Amino acid sequence: MTRGAAITRRVAGHLARGVVMIWVVATVSFFIIREIPGDPVQGMYESLLQKGMSPQQAERATAVLYGFLPKGTLWDQYVGYMGSLLHGDLGQSLSTPGVQVTHLIGAAASWTVLPVLAGTLLSFLLGVTMGVYAAIRRSGKLGDLLALSGSLLHGIPVYVIGLLLTAIFATLWPILPSGGPVDVDYVPGLNPGYIGSLLYHAVLPVVTYTLASYGGWILAMKSNVVAVLGDDFILAAELRGLKRGIVFRYLARNAILPLFTILALSIGMLFGGSIFIEEIFNYPGLGLLLVNSISSRDYALMGGTFLIITVGIVVANIVADLLYTVIDPRVRSGGTA
Amino acid sequence: MKRLATMAALASIVTASACGGAGQVDGAGPGGIFTTIDGSKQINASAPINPFNPVGSVFAGYNGMELAWPKNDPTDPNVFYPAIARSWTETPDQSQVVIHLQPNARWSDGRPVTSEDVKVSIGLAYTQGGTAYALDPAAAGAAADVRIVDPATVEITQGANKSSMFLSNLLSTVVVPAHVYGRLLPGNFWQTLKVAQYSSGPAADRARASITGLADKVIAFAPKQDVSAGPFVLERVNPGAALLKRNPYFYNNKVIGPDKVKVLNYTGNEQIWNYLISGQLDNAPFTSVPAAVMDRIRQVSGSGVISGYSPVVTSLAFNQAHKPYDNVHVRRALAYLIDRRQVTRIASPEGGTPAVTTSGIHARAAKAWLGGGFDALNPYRLDPAKAAAELKAAGMTRRGGRWALPDGKPWKVEIHVPASFSDWVSAAKSITSQLGDHGIDASVVTTADYTLYLSELAQGKYDIGFWLIGLGPSPYNIYQRIYGQANGWQLFGGRLKHVAPGTEGNWMGGPQTVQAGGARVDPGQLTGDLNFASPARQKQIIGTLAEVTNQQLPVVQLWDYVNTQFVNTSRYTGFPPNDSEALRLSSGVWMQLGMIRKRQA
Repeated sequence: MTRGAAITRRVAGHLARGVVMIWVVATVSFFIIREIPGDPVQGMYESLLQKGMSPQQAERATAVLYGFLPKGTLWDQYVGYMGSLLHGDLGQSLSTPGVQVTHLIGAAASWTVLPVLAGTLLSFLLGVTMGVYAAIRRSGKLGDLLALSGSLLHGIPVYVIGLLLTAIFATLWPILPSGGPVDVDYVPGLNPGYIGSLLYHAVLPVVTYTLASYGGWILAMKSNVVAVLGDDFILAAELRGLKRGIVFRYLARNAILPLFTILALSIGMLFGGSIFIEEIFNYPGLGLLLVNSISSRDYALMGGTFLIITVGIVVANIVADLLYTVIDPRVRSGGTA
Repeated sequence: MKRLATMAALASIVTASACGGAGQVDGAGPGGIFTTIDGSKQINASAPINPFNPVGSVFAGYNGMELAWPKNDPTDPNVFYPAIARSWTETPDQSQVVIHLQPNARWSDGRPVTSEDVKVSIGLAYTQGGTAYALDPAAAGAAADVRIVDPATVEITQGANKSSMFLSNLLSTVVVPAHVYGRLLPGNFWQTLKVAQYSSGPAADRARASITGLADKVIAFAPKQDVSAGPFVLERVNPGAALLKRNPYFYNNKVIGPDKVKVLNYTGNEQIWNYLISGQLDNAPFTSVPAAVMDRIRQVSGSGVISGYSPVVTSLAFNQAHKPYDNVHVRRALAYLIDRRQVTRIASPEGGTPAVTTSGIHARAAKAWLGGGFDALNPYRLDPAKAAAELKAAGMTRRGGRWALPDGKPWKVEIHVPASFSDWVSAAKSITSQLGDHGIDASVVTTADYTLYLSELAQGKYDIGFWLIGLGPSPYNIYQRIYGQANGWQLFGGRLKHVAPGTEGNWMGGPQTVQAGGARVDPGQLTGDLNFASPARQKQIIGTLAEVTNQQLPVVQLWDYVNTQFVNTSRYTGFPPNDSEALRLSSGVWMQLGMIRKRQA
């Protein structure tokens, strides 16, 4: 078998498994979602009363939602859902009536990508770099300090970091906005005011995400580097008198391999957004969309969001697996290198 | 070097943006920007600019207009401030209402607001159903005929099944421009409506289905731009905020202070607290605030609170189908053991006043309805001795300092509450602690979210739960919370029926008839009668229902709500005073009424 054919077969296998996995998740989530107890219309009606709205106003605001509730037997609904799914139609939202779920997910995804992707990449770069230093200088104070910072940040829940940063930089010393993705004063587009506002509002969410993820990367990288440092090929390279930069490259390339898979999965997971960060900073991404869809029992939106997260992870898995063969010769040649 | 330059450029953009702060807005004139939140909904930038969409980017009082705005009257639901309707007249039985429009009212595109706009708005309201626009011919208080008298006058006739809420429901109609929304109604709409309302059989069913079938289309309708008859018109919206600019054609434009309004979004109360602590908001409607946060808000320069009547009451409701809560002596004993003052101080120090007694009505409305009769009600003051006597009367026994059920089994009181309502959770903890002090084993059980809580409550899974009551000012709405669907009485199309406890949402499980004033009465029937009774008869019915509620205690009234609004007078002044009749309306309506002026330096 030629190499091209082998790759094609490998990709086809991955895709087939991915499609089956997506179907299984879509089916399971469809039935689980329908089993979540609670009447969304009654819930919304009572919530409006709780907010001080008069019964008439609350009735007017909710009566029409009955038309958006799923109808027919569960099986009929499932068949309809799968049929629509094949056409890329995720249905209509209940919490935002009259709007397609695909539109809501698309809008939320655009807000998730900036903070979560930036946070993931920043924390990865920072964690990996600091991890190498922490391993090399593990007997010194710098190494201890870096390892300690990793352990500490790894142990603090993301919502604690988020609330702490909000309390400091948005309330006590209000130099950063406490919520929202961009100032509404600026006309959307490629103008400095709008872009500046976008970045300004992204600072706290990105820093929170970076700090929350950094600990994991630095600890994992340090541990990998320490393990690789004891390998014979590093000793041989040093004995052969190879330049320090080349030895470092050997070291980093081998130590980073396991982290690469995690990074790929993290990027896949970004379609799940970051629930706590988006909630704390009122960032209208996929995580917040999922939370809101659950509390409002928006079945179509819940199903759509679960599906997009699943697809993200499946695709990331496939990409990670394929890229792994590129960066690790042992995998490429069937583990005989 | 190149990378450094890029980073420096980005940093300078961010710094410039940060230094600009909230004040850097182009186009804001001397009136400045008024910043607030919409307490009734979160901003959804994906939703259309359409008032028929529950989450649409239309904000009542700013770019959303009704015929009139309801005053915060404790007893009369039919008193309103003029809005699109300058004035109105009605026959004594509200069978006919004539509405006179503001002569100078114009849409933000310059076209006049006419009777045709009102008629189209009413037509669109029929597609949504409910209140004055029910298609069921038997429904009480439905509009039967809409007639344009002249371009500024509309006459609306009520159907045969009258309701005293007709005027109120009619004046709450949202008005939209016919030249934008009119095409949503098919050409034969009004003929179809007649068939739906006055015929029976398959033709009428088809007509009703045809009208309600328009609902999705109406809700999804997304005008390209906002056309508003209010003081403001939407300039743009994003997921974080909506920005509205002045509508130069507003009929009373000269009284509007701010040039723009910014409505900030929020995902929870914590964000509103942060906005208030950082001084960003000029006004925020009622928000539950813990005492420590309240102290910090008060420290902000210009920060203040205005408060007034809010016809909402928090109660502890019993499932009378569950033992021992079917026994009135048990319910009374619990009422005697709850220190409502302490509960309110812990749970809602700013947003509530301890209930004076249990009548089913907010104390202020109760005094107005009942007069001297209010003082005659049993106040159920904290009295452990009376509680012990009631428990003994219920057959309970005290063993080892703890109360046990008549059969000798331990009595475990479980109070259910949704976990997301911090004030209710605090109240429940306070109550269980108090009951524990008096020998009753009590615990708080939280439910993950409100929707689940309501679902389990309706299924009759709880013995005791928190429940909102006293939703005035309409007397029917007040008692419908106690003697309505939750307690077995169902009113559909003007017909009342009672269902057995544990079925069709009857989780309160009270008896269908009770003894009151020497006669047996049906509280649900009396509540239904409030819909169409004369004012004198309404007063009589309310007296009976208050007495029944006070004696039977299907609920224990804990605290009456206080409408607490946050204001900041650093930038704007002229907010309504305490107890203003406009307090429950948005600050956009306050502006329409000539309130809120820019603070002069």
